[in-house]
Amino acid sequence: MARYVQKSSYETTHLDNEWIILNTEEYTVTTLNDVGGFCWSLLKEEQTSESLTQAVGREYQATEVSEREIEEFLSHLMECGLVKYAV
Amino acid sequence: MELLYTKVGTHEIEISTESKDFKDFIQRNFSIFRGKTSDPDLKIIIKKGFGKPFVNYQVEVSKHEEKINFQRSDYLIETGSDYRYSVIYAHNEFALKHAITNLYSSFIVYHNWGLLIHSSCALENRKAHIFSGQSGAGKSTAAKLSAPRELLSDEATILKIDDGKVTVFDSPFRSEFQATGTNKSAPLASIQLLHQALHNNRTNLKKSDALIQLLDKVFYWAHSPEETKQVIKLLNKLVETVPVYDLHFQKNNRFWELIS
Repeated sequence: MARYVQKSSYETTHLDNEWIILNTEEYTVTTLNDVGGFCWSLLKEEQTSESLTQAVGREYQATEVSEREIEEFLSHLMECGLVKYAV
Repeated sequence: MELLYTKVGTHEIEISTESKDFKDFIQRNFSIFRGKTSDPDLKIIIKKGFGKPFVNYQVEVSKHEEKINFQRSDYLIETGSDYRYSVIYAHNEFALKHAITNLYSSFIVYHNWGLLIHSSCALENRKAHIFSGQSGAGKSTAAKLSAPRELLSDEATILKIDDGKVTVFDSPFRSEFQATGTNKSAPLASIQLLHQALHNNRTNLKKSDALIQLLDKVFYWAHSPEETKQVIKLLNKLVETVPVYDLHFQKNNRFWELIS
């Protein structure tokens, strides 16, 4: 199973229930909601879509998130240049 | 060579130049005080004769060891890594004004003191209100329509950002309205992002949207990830402390009814 990790260190700001991820090299900004921000914080270490789905299930008991949604989320983060495959 | 002493924000600045034109420019635009400052925060030597007239706003930043250079077609700033000792070479007064703005902005970010925001700022009941927005959104229009309220800036607003408190200082970095030279300061009460409209309406922005909207309003020349992070941290404190609004306004002074 593919493993993902944050590409490099970013400046992360948490305001109300939103997260702002600043890529300080490229000067780009990505905003995430609370669940996305939670996943982002776990991606400091290697994660799979399965491990993230389980973690979200534990943290947000009332929130149903499928592994497919997490996979989509991870591919968005890849497109934004925020995560990479862990090797 | 005669030295000139001025104060911007809370910072004392010593300026020396052999150019009569530049000396006149500094005396016209900055409040000069007599007598020597024993330990100025910034020391600037200004030299006339560099490059060619303004081409565009593109600034090249280069770093070597303890020195940083900011270069535009019409100015060059050579400064130390803490921005305390600098030499500015400028083509003309326009270039000099922009070079000093660039240097002061870099200085206050580096020292985690505050930010320079592209905006106008007016006083109402001893509190400061900022009007910012894209080029042409109406910053100077809002400044004009705010008369007879006192202006603290019409182009670059100086913000001192502390935890839970943001203070605006009288800005010498002006475009149309000359500074009064009073060195006034006031607490910042609100920030308006301007949109010209057929009606007046003000709505509160989410803090995350506010931070993103303000990013490109900061006078800042990105040259190191550490300093970019510093800008974000200061902006974060700013939006945590002061409400930011979208202000749709007609070209008359009735928008003040929504603010005061």
